[in-house]
Amino acid sequence: MKSSTHIMVVDDEETICEALMAWFVKDGYKVETALSGEGALEYLQGNDIDIFLVDIKMPGMNGIELLSRIKEKQPAAAVIMMTAHGSIQTAVEAMKLGASDYLCKPFDPDALSLLMERVMMQKTLQKENTILKERLLEQQEEAADVFIVHSEQMRKIFSTVDEVAPSSAPILITGETGVGKDIVARAIHLRSQRSYGPFVAVNCGALSESLLESELFGHEKGAFTGAMKTRRGRLEMADSGTLFLDEIGEISTKMQIVLLRVLEEKQFLRLGGSSPVSSDFRLITATHRDIPPLIKEKQFREDFYYRINVIKIHIPPLRERQDDIPALADHFLKRYVEDTGKHLEGFTQKAIEHLISYSWPGNVRELRNVIERAVVIARGYIIGTDELKFLDPGKLSCETPSGTLEQIEMNHIKSTLASCDGNISHTAKKLGINRSTLSRKMKQYQLTTLSMAK
Amino acid sequence: MGKIDMTAVSVIAANLQAILGLNTQILPVQPEPEYAFLARRGQYDGGKILHALAAVSDSSQFMLAVVSVDIFTPILTFVFGESQLGGKAAVVSLFRAKSKNLEQSYNRAAKIAIHEIGHLLGIVHCRTPDCLMGFSNNLEKLDSLPLRFCQACEFEARRRLRHLFGEPGVKAP
Ligand SMILES: [Zn+2]
Ligand SMILES: [Zn+2]
Repeated sequence: MKSSTHIMVVDDEETICEALMAWFVKDGYKVETALSGEGALEYLQGNDIDIFLVDIKMPGMNGIELLSRIKEKQPAAAVIMMTAHGSIQTAVEAMKLGASDYLCKPFDPDALSLLMERVMMQKTLQKENTILKERLLEQQEEAADVFIVHSEQMRKIFSTVDEVAPSSAPILITGETGVGKDIVARAIHLRSQRSYGPFVAVNCGALSESLLESELFGHEKGAFTGAMKTRRGRLEMADSGTLFLDEIGEISTKMQIVLLRVLEEKQFLRLGGSSPVSSDFRLITATHRDIPPLIKEKQFREDFYYRINVIKIHIPPLRERQDDIPALADHFLKRYVEDTGKHLEGFTQKAIEHLISYSWPGNVRELRNVIERAVVIARGYIIGTDELKFLDPGKLSCETPSGTLEQIEMNHIKSTLASCDGNISHTAKKLGINRSTLSRKMKQYQLTTLSMAK
Repeated sequence: MGKIDMTAVSVIAANLQAILGLNTQILPVQPEPEYAFLARRGQYDGGKILHALAAVSDSSQFMLAVVSVDIFTPILTFVFGESQLGGKAAVVSLFRAKSKNLEQSYNRAAKIAIHEIGHLLGIVHCRTPDCLMGFSNNLEKLDSLPLRFCQACEFEARRRLRHLFGEPGVKAP
């Protein structure tokens, strides 16, 4: 981190600027100097500085003034005040205004190096903290999404997770896109003895075969054009932790053989490498595909499937566990209301029914996005069907055509009516028939607008 | 320069030769650098000594001055030595390196000299523990360091030495 740390020295005495610059350059930093506060601010237009050393006494803008201007522009920057002996009082004052520390000129070598160590440590912690906080928040939010479970199916899954987490057996998680396979994988990791180790996720479907190979196994310098330096692969990074391979159904049979060997031998070579690297990880894989048919078509190796499928967890799609929909919708509503500061109290009964009857091809992720959008466009105190109009009525769950032609017709009319809030003219227009034909069919199927507008 | 322990100078020269493979030549003793004295601090300005040294016309690659007076820089209360990063001139002070144990004094002087020559070779401070290119903020730190560079600094030093034409020589007035 050090070599990239950018320091600025601001002092009206040129010899001080030069001497400090020489010292910091020797200590491996990138250094700028400015002879006045105004000069420093000018440089700040468009440049970031990590650490400032500012002289308190300067003609024109003094150090204290510059300190507050820096804190406005770059609040994360560390500012160290420099003072000649005798004016420590001002330096202490500066600390109250947000300076990180102060030094009395000339500095004791001990004081300077200790101070720099301390400031660098703070900077590192600061950076790590923001990254960690962001990641944690994201994970907590996502993890919370999965734990909103009312349905019997999901409760069973979570008791399975608790049961299987402590072992090191490979787990295969199946389920449609958006059901939260990655979050279940993370939950397993967090409940395992490896929770202190890393959780390393790779989406196998997002990478070409050669990229995936170097991503997983890493490479030695010069292994291929563009391999400028040795890089550790995800397999190595997952040592003592969990390796999560998402979209495992997308990898080639050749890659399956390679991975099978790694799982058996617990060691592998980096691309272009000759000495084996060993890594101890627990493997969790996931796919939205149904693997057994792929095995029949020779697109997936049976031996590899047995290796990864020691424990199987299937997460049902949202439309098969409609009990979870209202609770999830409520959960997302609360979150986005908090984010946007809008006063929204809930959903109309009709809106909830609308959500339940939708087929949710994108599952929990889609539901989350839909609620977010609804919150943004909502005008009143409650979310009604108006706010959910953008839901594709074709995706309402009765859409999947099964049954007799009559049943399909009935279902289609029913769902169109629902999407039009029971408005006959709108529905007729959408169906491409006239009002009287619609009324006749409604009578035939015993459909009432009342049941739609419940 | 000035009243100087010539044994210390010889020890420094020998170490530069042995450790860095530099050809060293000891120049005649120069007068005390009075031009660098700052009465207010009662010390000598290391930067001024470097300037004067760099201005001496001499065919050597590096010039290393050994002084017995205490030296400072505009920002530090004292330094064991001072040098121009990637430049020609360096200075070592024996003032704070002094010890009742003569061998320890010489050892310290050699460490300071090699550290400063490292800077002349363009090497910046190193964070690897037990590397002589680490910054010594006090004697305790200086004494804890071995008389050698870490692998990376060693490699860097060799590379720069090879890059500098011929066999570079060092003269120590
Ligand atoms: Zn140094
Ligand atoms: Zn080093």
